[in-house]
Amino acid sequence: MNKTHKVAVIDYGMGNVWSVVSALKYLGAEVDLVKDPDLLSNYRYLVLPGVGSFKKGMERLRQGALDQAIVDCVKHYGANILGICLGMQLLVSKGMEHGETDGLGLLPGVVDRFTKTELQGNKIPHVGFNAIKISKSSGLFTDIPDYSNFYFTHSYRLLATNVPVTRSALCSYGIDFLAAFEVDNICGAQFHPEKSQTNGLIMLRNFFKYV
Amino acid sequence: MLSRNFRLQKVGNYEWLKKNYNFSKISFSIDELIILDVSRNKQGTEEFYEYVGLLTEECFVPIAAGGGVRDLEQARKLLQSGADKVVVNTLLVENSDVIKDIVREFGQQCTVASIDVKKSDSGYKVWTHNGCIQQSEPLEYWIESAANLPVGEIYLNSIDRDGTGHGYQFDLIKHIPQGISVPVIMAGGAGQYLHLNEGLNHESIDAVATAHLFNFVGTGLKNARIELIKNGHDLPDWDVDLASQLKNILSS
Repeated sequence: MNKTHKVAVIDYGMGNVWSVVSALKYLGAEVDLVKDPDLLSNYRYLVLPGVGSFKKGMERLRQGALDQAIVDCVKHYGANILGICLGMQLLVSKGMEHGETDGLGLLPGVVDRFTKTELQGNKIPHVGFNAIKISKSSGLFTDIPDYSNFYFTHSYRLLATNVPVTRSALCSYGIDFLAAFEVDNICGAQFHPEKSQTNGLIMLRNFFKYV
Repeated sequence: MLSRNFRLQKVGNYEWLKKNYNFSKISFSIDELIILDVSRNKQGTEEFYEYVGLLTEECFVPIAAGGGVRDLEQARKLLQSGADKVVVNTLLVENSDVIKDIVREFGQQCTVASIDVKKSDSGYKVWTHNGCIQQSEPLEYWIESAANLPVGEIYLNSIDRDGTGHGYQFDLIKHIPQGISVPVIMAGGAGQYLHLNEGLNHESIDAVATAHLFNFVGTGLKNARIELIKNGHDLPDWDVDLASQLKNILSS
């Protein structure tokens, strides 16, 4: 068994872990669902999934003492982390959903609701497959052509301004928002790679092979 | 398990479904899979949750599932069994606070309100409890109250057209109140790609659904998607072979 592809999917009771686990297993990764903060440091790869509200998500991470454990793993032990959807949002410093809440703060950034002006008549939630514009087809975005489709479902967004990213992808929904990014060992995707067919599987592979 | 298109015809159990429908393959021709438990009795059982998980193995598209969801715990169970969204129907009229709880816990995007509609002498009426009980309020009222909860999407299903293959009940569109901000999925009646095409051409329809057996068996669904793309609809086109090459790539 190739230990380098052992991944912890962080289980904090927020949503569709089953789908994430099943996509990672399909790729052949050795996947553990991890609740215990003390076990996290055993993994080189962490995936923080999640659907739901920012506030609730942070509450759950704190209740399980997972917030500090994640920060330690990423900052001090150099683990690679991929945040998906809410999991991506929680990586940054602040979220405004159901009241202002501090995030994990691994990166600066504020997650806020799409405004009417930004949406330009589009409906929220932003649901469905949408194309992303990719800055560089390398790293997390290896083998992913520009304008590839990924599955989104969200009402809150992170804008690219003031998030210092190495590689990023933008999606346009009235306004351009941050669809995915890579900064050193920290990756995030607002869309669901585990729900984005071939494109999503490629990106998940990239997280292990090219980040 | 009953097929939605022939509501009263038993088409087979899980083994039958698994054998006759390759959901993993079908998933490359769709943007989302909706699985509804329409059993006449004993909805929302452990067995159903298990089926959702088993049927959607290797399906990397969003999965909405429901049928008989009455409380937050059932919603959680579905989400733990492979669903990404919870479909609610009767709850909308019986106990919409539970839908609010689901939204609070899992977010607005996690809920789909399925609204079953049937034409009556006094206009279109909403039917709940697996299509058994008619609600007295007009259709507009229920669409609006679902949107205001708010749910993430509305699945508007014509009971009259469901399973006929005669095309959608586009008349229903007139009853979608102005300014509804949640996406609307049209369901019930599609039997060929032209119906899907017609649906996607309507400005107030955000997505089209089909449960027609014709689409699932053989290449109907795949061809329909190709035709829709040819007709200029912006649908993703997936590389099925590449997906199979990615299997176990990390273990080698």
